[in-house]
Amino acid sequence: MAEILALDDVQDATVLIGKILSKKGHNVHTFTEEDEAIEFAKKNRIDLAILDIKLKKLSGVEVLAMLKEHSPDMHAIMLTGYPTVETAREAISLGADEYCVKPIDRDELEEKVEKVLQTRK
Amino acid sequence: MTDTRTRERQFLEVFQKVTKMVSMVLDHQQVMDTIVRTLPELFDVDACTIRLLDYSTNTFVLGAAHGLSLEYVSRQSIDTEETMALIKAGQPVARVNLDRDPSYQDREELFREGIKSILTLPILFQDSIIGIMRLLTRRHRVFSDEEISFSMSLAEQVGIAISNARMFKEMVNQVDFMQEVQALSKLVNSTLDLDTVLQTIVERVPRSMGTRACTIRLLNPQTNTLELVAAHGVSDNYLEQVQWESEDDIAMLLAGGSVAIFDVEGDERIKCRKHLVQEGIKSLLCIPIKVGQERIGVLQILSDEHHCFTSSEVNFAETVSEAGGTAIHNARTYQKINLLFNQIEENERFLADILDCIRPQLLVIDTEKHVVLANRVAMERLGRSEKEILGAEYSELCLVEGDNGECPVDQVLRDGNAVTLVHQVEQEDGVHWLERTATPMLDDQGQVQYVVEIIRDITTQRRLEQERMERVKLQGVVEMAGAVAHEINSPLFAALGTAQLLQEDVEDTEMGRDLSTIVRNLKAISQLTRKMTSMTGFKSRHYIGDTRIVDMSD
Repeated sequence: MAEILALDDVQDATVLIGKILSKKGHNVHTFTEEDEAIEFAKKNRIDLAILDIKLKKLSGVEVLAMLKEHSPDMHAIMLTGYPTVETAREAISLGADEYCVKPIDRDELEEKVEKVLQTRK
Repeated sequence: MTDTRTRERQFLEVFQKVTKMVSMVLDHQQVMDTIVRTLPELFDVDACTIRLLDYSTNTFVLGAAHGLSLEYVSRQSIDTEETMALIKAGQPVARVNLDRDPSYQDREELFREGIKSILTLPILFQDSIIGIMRLLTRRHRVFSDEEISFSMSLAEQVGIAISNARMFKEMVNQVDFMQEVQALSKLVNSTLDLDTVLQTIVERVPRSMGTRACTIRLLNPQTNTLELVAAHGVSDNYLEQVQWESEDDIAMLLAGGSVAIFDVEGDERIKCRKHLVQEGIKSLLCIPIKVGQERIGVLQILSDEHHCFTSSEVNFAETVSEAGGTAIHNARTYQKINLLFNQIEENERFLADILDCIRPQLLVIDTEKHVVLANRVAMERLGRSEKEILGAEYSELCLVEGDNGECPVDQVLRDGNAVTLVHQVEQEDGVHWLERTATPMLDDQGQVQYVVEIIRDITTQRRLEQERMERVKLQGVVEMAGAVAHEINSPLFAALGTAQLLQEDVEDTEMGRDLSTIVRNLKAISQLTRKMTSMTGFKSRHYIGDTRIVDMSD
C-alpha cells in the first residue's frame, strides 16, 4: 500500500483516480487546488504524486518541483490532455517517472502506478 | 654727217631688236640673258651685266652677266657708294680710265678682269628703280652723251621687258597657283580625316611652290604650345629635335601675319634657328592658319635655297592655309562629332545592357500603341526578335485586360496615371502570376509621350505568400486542435474511467453492454483527440455546400 496524492483541476478526474487506485489498496488523497495539495504533502509522507500538467494557478511541473524539494524520494506520474515536448522534457528533468497523455486507460494507469511503486522497493 | 646718220641707224637697229625682244620673250630671265649677250656686240663693249633689286634686302642681286669671270661677278660690292647713290637716284654713271684711278675700290678685281671703263645705268619701270645694267670695256672708252642717252632709253626698254616678263610670269604663277589651290581645296575637302587633310597639304604645297619641305603646327589650347602635326621633306632627325618652344617664336607666329624670311641663319626674328640651319634650310615662309579670326596654327614652307617669296607665292600659301584651316576645322568638328557619337553609342549600349540584365520584362509603347523598345527578357518571353518586335502593334503582343476589361496601356494613355494589374497565364511549367505596371512617360507639356510597361513574374512571391498563409492557417488549426484536445481529454478521462469502473460492476448485464458501447465510443473520441494533439499539418475535405472541414480520417 502506498500513500498517493492526486492533483487535477477537474474534480471528476481526481475522484476517478481515487476510486481506481483505492481498489488497488492504495491510500489516495485527491486535490483540485495546488496550495492545498502542497500543504498536505509537506505534512504527510507521499510515495507517489499523480499531477495534471494544467492546473488552476500553477503548472503541474511547478508543483512537482515544489514537492520534490520537500520530498526528493517521492515518485511522480504526470498527466496531460495536451502533451508538448517542453513540458515532457521539464517534468522528466525534475524527476517525474512517467509522462502520460489523457485519457489514460484504467488498466494503463494501474500498470504505470504499480511499475513506479515497484522501483520504490 | 654720214657717220652720225650711220650711228643713228645703228642705234635704231639695236633699239628695234631690243623692242622686238621685249614683245617676244616672256621669261624675264631669258630677257636678261638675251640682252647681256646681245648688247656688247651692238654697243661695241666687252661685257654686260644686269642686277635686279631685292626689295627685302635692298640690294642688287645678279640677274645675268656676259663677258666677265664668275669670280668678278661674285664679288661683294658693285661700285662705289657715290655711284650707287646716283644710280638709286635714277642717274646714269659713266666711269672711264678706272685703271688709273687709285681711289677706286675693288682695284685688284678690276685689274684681274682688265676693266677700264664702266657705264652703269639704272633700270627703271614706272619711275621706280628695279635694277641696274652695266656695260664694261677692257679698253679705254669714253661714253658720249648720245650713247648714254641712248643707253638710258635702252635700259628703260630692258626695264619694261623685265617687268612685263615678271608680270607675265607672276600671272602664269597665279593661274598655276589658283589651279593648285583649287585642286588642293578639292582634295582636303574630300575627306574628313584630319591626318589625311594635314598630310595632303604638307605634300602638295612644296611641290606647287618648288620648295623642299612643309610643316604644319597646330596650337594646343590647353598647353598654349604649337604641336607639330604634319611634315614633309624634312629629316627624321629634324622632326625629333625641332622645337618651337620659345614663347617669342610662338607669339611671333601667332600674333603677326605671314612672315617671309630670306636668310634663316641671319634673321634675328627666329630665336630657335639652330635646327633649321642644321637641316640646311635657307629661306622660310610662315603663314598663320586661321579659322575665321582665330589662329589655330602655323603653316611653314621651307626652302633649302635662298628664295625670295613673291607676293603671289605668299598669296598662294595664304589661300592654301585658309582652305586648310577650314578643312582642319571641319575634320576636327567631324572628330568631335564622331567622339560624341561614339559616346552616345556607348551610353546606349550601356543602358541597353542594363535593360537586358534586369529580370522583369520591359516594353516602351508610343501613343500610337507601337512598341518602340523591348528588353531581352521581353523578347524571349514573347518569342520574337528585336526586328519583329520594334514597331509592332502592342495589342497583337499583349492581350491583357484589367478588372474593367480595359488594357492597362490604354488606361495610361487615357488618364495619364500609372496602372498595376496582376493576372495569371498558363505556361509550360504551370500557371504563372504576372504583375504588369504601366507607367506614363510625360513630355514637357505633361502629355503622355510613351508608356513604360514592366512585367514581373511574381509566381514565386505568390507561392511564398500562399505558403505563409497556409502556415498561419495550420498554426491556428494546430492550436485549436491542442486547445480542444486539452479541454476534452480531462473530462473524457473522467467519463471513460468511471464507465470502465461501472462496467466491472454490471458485467454480463444489459447495462454492462450499454456501458461497453459508451466505453467504445469514448475510446473512439480518445483516438480522435490523440490525432488532434499530434497534428503537424492537415488537409481539408468537402463537407456540405461550400463548407470544407479538416480531414481526420488518417
